[in-house]
Amino acid sequence: MPELAEVFSQFVVHQSGARSAKVIEFEKLSGGAIQDNFGLSLDIEGGGHSGLQEFVVRQDAPSGVSESLSRPEEFRVLEAAFKAGVTVPEPLWLCEDLDVSGQLFYVMTRAGGSASPRQLVKSDLTGEQRCIIVRRLGAELAKLHTVRPPMRSLDFLTLPDQGDAALSRVAIYRRHLREIAEPHPVLEWALNWLEDNTPEPGPTVLCHCDFRTGNYMMAGEKLTAILDWEFAAWSDPAEDLGWFCSRSWRFGANEREAGGVGEKQDFLDGYREAGGTGIDPAAVSYWEVMALVRWAMIALQQARRHISGEQRSLELALTGRMVAQMECDLLTQIQELEDNQ
Amino acid sequence: MINRPDNHDLLMEARQVLLNSLTPELTGARKYEALMIANVMSMAIRELGQNEQAKVEEADQAVSTFLEARSQPNPNVEGETSLAEAIRKRRLEGREPALRDVLQTLTEARLGINNPSYLKR
Repeated sequence: MPELAEVFSQFVVHQSGARSAKVIEFEKLSGGAIQDNFGLSLDIEGGGHSGLQEFVVRQDAPSGVSESLSRPEEFRVLEAAFKAGVTVPEPLWLCEDLDVSGQLFYVMTRAGGSASPRQLVKSDLTGEQRCIIVRRLGAELAKLHTVRPPMRSLDFLTLPDQGDAALSRVAIYRRHLREIAEPHPVLEWALNWLEDNTPEPGPTVLCHCDFRTGNYMMAGEKLTAILDWEFAAWSDPAEDLGWFCSRSWRFGANEREAGGVGEKQDFLDGYREAGGTGIDPAAVSYWEVMALVRWAMIALQQARRHISGEQRSLELALTGRMVAQMECDLLTQIQELEDNQ
Repeated sequence: MINRPDNHDLLMEARQVLLNSLTPELTGARKYEALMIANVMSMAIRELGQNEQAKVEEADQAVSTFLEARSQPNPNVEGETSLAEAIRKRRLEGREPALRDVLQTLTEARLGINNPSYLKR
């Protein structure tokens, strides 16, 4: 670890044009199975970042295998979000030279606060504070969704088939379910429903695709950073809104539909007032169903990694046993939507 | 062969030791791992219990009865596989209340083992 801290420190010195830097603190941060995050505090002399500075270094984990974005791709997405005014850590320098640390990595500013979902969901906030938080989160998404294709720096992101993100997703999940070769009648039923009830497609925009409580940092009631951009994709704006409101991401506060934090209407108002394109609430509800199917697919794939022996892990095994929760929520949510039609 | 205490009893006791004696001594990632192990033991205890086994058998039976009544192939062999395939191939009407009921029964049987508190939400 001390050698790695020195490697990153020298990289920062070189990139920032500093004369020297002293490592004040270096620690591995929690979270991330497919990448390692390190907190790096430096006392820098000279250059554009002189003084005490706190960075996060994000690099591929040695065992990292996934369908998510590579670190350089994630860096480009983060740059695009930063330029669009989204509250993200500022992406500073990307290192694509494997000789430096042995892995691809990038350096960004370190945001303060906590991303703990339970801490936020259980905190003693007033209704007004909750309203302000979810409106802000809606506004952040509206800014992100101003980023649209074509964009040369993001040309690695695929576009939805025929501009229809919903049907593209259904096709992908059907394929995943076939590959898993384990009967899941509720998921088959939900996929049929999703296929039969697609809303009018929205514009194709840059979506975070994992925008949920737990993936943004809060210092008290102030948003400090939106994190974890490795699943970003060109998609329908309602996908991000639906994922945020999904029953899976309310952390026990089921009555607060916007991420377990606030009201869905406030979240959508924040989105609209910040310039977000007209969103049909029915489309958001549809994408909440899609979110449950997607999370179930991810859980099944994680369990498969354990069962196949690719990565034996108690946590992955337990995630497989969570699928019944998503199936239960799917039955409830689809029934509610059918009843309201 | 008599082999007592039985596996249900052993697991119950082991879980108590884990939760009451070991977990309070742990912090951070180790505590999280201990709680995951306790969770796994709870599932295994419920899976061995007669109540939950009966619910699983009832759910399997409900699938077979449902498929038989609709002349779907192989209702008695891997009923859930046949049900999933019949849904995927659109051989069943998705809005049929009886289909929803059988899906609900299956899900509740599984949740009864994996996380019964989820059913009470």
